[in-house]
Amino acid sequence: MRPTRREFLWAMGATAASVGLRWSSDLVWAPQVPDDLGWAPGTEQFVNSACLICPARCGIRGRVVDDRLVRLGGNPFHPMNAGGLCPRGIAGVQMLYHPDRIASPLRRVGERGADSWEEIGWDEALGQLGERLQSLRATGRPEALALMAGYCAGSMHDLWRQFLRSYGSPHYVAEDYDDGTSAVMELMHGIARRPGFDLERAGFVLSFGSPLFESWWSPLQAFAAFAGPDGSDDGRTRFVQIDTRFSRTAAHANDWVGVRPGTFGVLALGIAYVLIRDELYDAGFVERHVSGFEDYTDREGERRQGYRSLVMRNYRTEEVSALTGVPVARITALARAFAQAEHSVAVFGHEVTHAPSGLLSGLAVHSLNVLMGNVGREGGVLFGNDPPLDPLPDPRIDAVARAGLERGSLARTPAPFGGGDPASRFAAAVGDSPSETIDTLLLYYANPLASSPRPDAWREALERIPFVVSFSPFLDETTAHADLILPDLLAFERWQDAPTPVSYPYPVWGVARPLVAPPPGGKHAGDAMLAVARQLGGSVAASLPYDNVELLLKARARGLFRARRGMTLGDAFELEHHRQMEERGWWLPEHTEFEAFWDELVQRGGWTDLFLDETDPARLARTPSGRVDLTPAPLLATLAAAGRGGALYMDVAETSAATTDEFPLRLLPYRVSTLSSGTVALERWLAETPGLFPEVHWDPWIEVAPATAEAQKLGDDTMVWVVAASGRYRARLKVFPGTAPENVCAPYGLRHPDGELANPLQLLDGSSDALTALPNWSTTFVRLEPA
Amino acid sequence: MTRWGMVIDLDRCTGCAACEVACKSENNIATVPPHQAEMGRVMSWMRVLAHTVGDFPDTHLEFYPRPCMHCDNPPCIKVCPVRATYIDPEGIVGQIYPRCIGCRYCANACPFTVKYFNWYGPEWSDSERQHLNPDVSPRTKGVIEKCSFCHHRLQRAREQARAENRDVREEDYQPACAEICPTRAIVFGDLDNPTHHVAELKEDPRAMRIMEDLGTQPKVYYLRARR
Repeated sequence: MRPTRREFLWAMGATAASVGLRWSSDLVWAPQVPDDLGWAPGTEQFVNSACLICPARCGIRGRVVDDRLVRLGGNPFHPMNAGGLCPRGIAGVQMLYHPDRIASPLRRVGERGADSWEEIGWDEALGQLGERLQSLRATGRPEALALMAGYCAGSMHDLWRQFLRSYGSPHYVAEDYDDGTSAVMELMHGIARRPGFDLERAGFVLSFGSPLFESWWSPLQAFAAFAGPDGSDDGRTRFVQIDTRFSRTAAHANDWVGVRPGTFGVLALGIAYVLIRDELYDAGFVERHVSGFEDYTDREGERRQGYRSLVMRNYRTEEVSALTGVPVARITALARAFAQAEHSVAVFGHEVTHAPSGLLSGLAVHSLNVLMGNVGREGGVLFGNDPPLDPLPDPRIDAVARAGLERGSLARTPAPFGGGDPASRFAAAVGDSPSETIDTLLLYYANPLASSPRPDAWREALERIPFVVSFSPFLDETTAHADLILPDLLAFERWQDAPTPVSYPYPVWGVARPLVAPPPGGKHAGDAMLAVARQLGGSVAASLPYDNVELLLKARARGLFRARRGMTLGDAFELEHHRQMEERGWWLPEHTEFEAFWDELVQRGGWTDLFLDETDPARLARTPSGRVDLTPAPLLATLAAAGRGGALYMDVAETSAATTDEFPLRLLPYRVSTLSSGTVALERWLAETPGLFPEVHWDPWIEVAPATAEAQKLGDDTMVWVVAASGRYRARLKVFPGTAPENVCAPYGLRHPDGELANPLQLLDGSSDALTALPNWSTTFVRLEPA
Repeated sequence: MTRWGMVIDLDRCTGCAACEVACKSENNIATVPPHQAEMGRVMSWMRVLAHTVGDFPDTHLEFYPRPCMHCDNPPCIKVCPVRATYIDPEGIVGQIYPRCIGCRYCANACPFTVKYFNWYGPEWSDSERQHLNPDVSPRTKGVIEKCSFCHHRLQRAREQARAENRDVREEDYQPACAEICPTRAIVFGDLDNPTHHVAELKEDPRAMRIMEDLGTQPKVYYLRARR
């Protein structure tokens, strides 16, 4: 059939259309791609650095996309944290990009504390500070400058010291978590240094209240030891926690033992009793390296009881059990486990020493390490080395500075074996002095109005100081009372060295370098002080001949390059290889040029030396006799002079006032892992995950036993006032079966969402250990009232 | 066939919550204001659940770090009216945010309570936007979100492996929680691949799954604490 005209035309049209479409398909259907999309996928980089948020100073690795820091993880090259990181470190990105951060200098206008500020430039701000400092020196009053510094071990600490010394001020006031352990070590070993605990190589860790998994010097050090070397279960360290409350560490350790507050020392001596009775201690070590174990005759010819007699006569397990509340069978089992493990170590810190007989309790706990010979050797207590950095040049001290330094600090040392709480003492001394005795106060990572146990003393002190300068990048409580704010760069924006804390026995010199560029108008506090030193000129400038902190660090690292030991950080194989080489007396240089060494050091995140010479007798004791002394003579003399008898290891139990009807509950403050330390605004991620309670967010809480809450007719989750003789604060009550009925456990360093502080330290009764002046943390009694 | 799964060793967990925070950082999980938190609206794909048993001093803790169980027989996908939640061929239970209509059926069907509803849009200040992960899309108001086993990391690992003409290796693909865990308590990999660590661990005598009797066949195993 022939097509009709209509059909023919339709077919022709359809063919033409399909041909046309085919030929033009690319043109018609391809999307239009503009030249500039307005965004790009971003360039990703991983940069090693060090975390500066807490004293642990872990190695970190930041994921940087373009110029933004989007994630923080652990640096796998770092021997202490080996790729892991704690929640506070991970949340560091929220601190870095916190909306409340201050980026440029502020000067107060109007009344102090009225929160009215004007932005000024750095030149003007530093000029104002420099002139003030210049005029103090010109009038011969350099001692009227004071610095209050938080934990800043490393070159920033050295820089501040150098500045103050060459300037002429004796007022370096540190708030650096002194826990009295270095006093214990000085008395027993003649080594004035906090002990390092080799948890990773230990087989058994007996922790006397140390919050190893929460807020210890380095939780990551404890985590690495808990995890074991290679992820297998063979040879994993066993952790037993002795604690006054069911802490997170107690909850996750292999086992835990609850004790009464203030009885850590008694329990330790009860364990020592079993070790001696059953002859489980290392008798050979004690005979060769320990003095004061057996009865002895002192220099005056008087017969004295040795450690063995004291323990055997006074700490029978039944008596210890009655005092501590730990069953006799538990004490015996603990002692056996401690003795049977290949390397066992007793860990202690401020939980033991912040008590009425804190120093003596510390001695008692450490005596366990001595009895087992776990001192100065692998898997025990070790005294590490500091990294062999080049020191800063000797400070030049001119006549003005010398006169200032000779006038001495306002706050005198109050106790024979420690400085106690120097910040509170300084504040009290300022309060007792005529106004303007201290003219200028610098605040560096310190917020005493929030963190101090004596905020009232600080409030009064601040009123007597005419010029207060804060380096805080956040408007915290104390900074709000400043006259001038010179905001430091945040961690992850600045150069700083990050030596690991002394609890980690091997020296690691981490280097924090900027992961992102600082905001325009930001300045490193160290650079700012170097600029002030240049402005002051003369001996101060000559003592700090560095352009900036980066160059200061680089200059100091020359000491590492020349040391002929250690290595830049590396993977586990490299680290172990290097350690074994050094053990055999070998060391191979990896670089011939310092520049290449420095570049690699920065790129890998630091330097370390994992070899410790255990055969060196100076690692064990530097006492005159060369032996570890269980009965240190200076301590005995002090005790005798104070009328406390001539025997140690007595009276280590707390004998403070007991409960009253008015205040029936004992307050036990503790630090949580998400602690804001009082200097940093709390990150929101951390506020959402604060503790053992999945349902507590944001609010500070206290832990109360179910029976106690019922007796007081206070329900779970209610807001209560914690009332002590000296004040009160508000918190949410959590009914918690892990708390003893006679106690209230209270985390400190937290805030309510509206910023209201909840600091149980401010309720403390102000008493302290007479030997160390360290405050007592478990002798305050409180009551609860509905809020 | 690949079946991605996880083994969590409760003997190694220290409850530090690094996994929780690392997850929030990796997946741009929004925080909620305090009064919303009080209503139980905190979103936490990974959550360390803890329950304390026994009075002082005979107290112990029962706890689970709890991500999505990525069940082989997931109840959530059966109730979704729009197929916004689905299980992919490698066993990952996913959520398609643009498709989700916010009915919350799946959140109610999930016995492990791992599905979170966005009651409000996320609020980030300009500065906080800087730390958002460019690989993960933020969620809007009115959709359900959940743990994805850091699926975006699998996509990258696959692309990388394809470019190098090889299979995806165990270490190529690790979710943020497993990567950060300081005690290596969280182990992740292919449950069906005998060379992967999880395949061995899931056969451990200590291995168990929570609420196994419901028949959802979770792919997250726990190793009971020995202590």
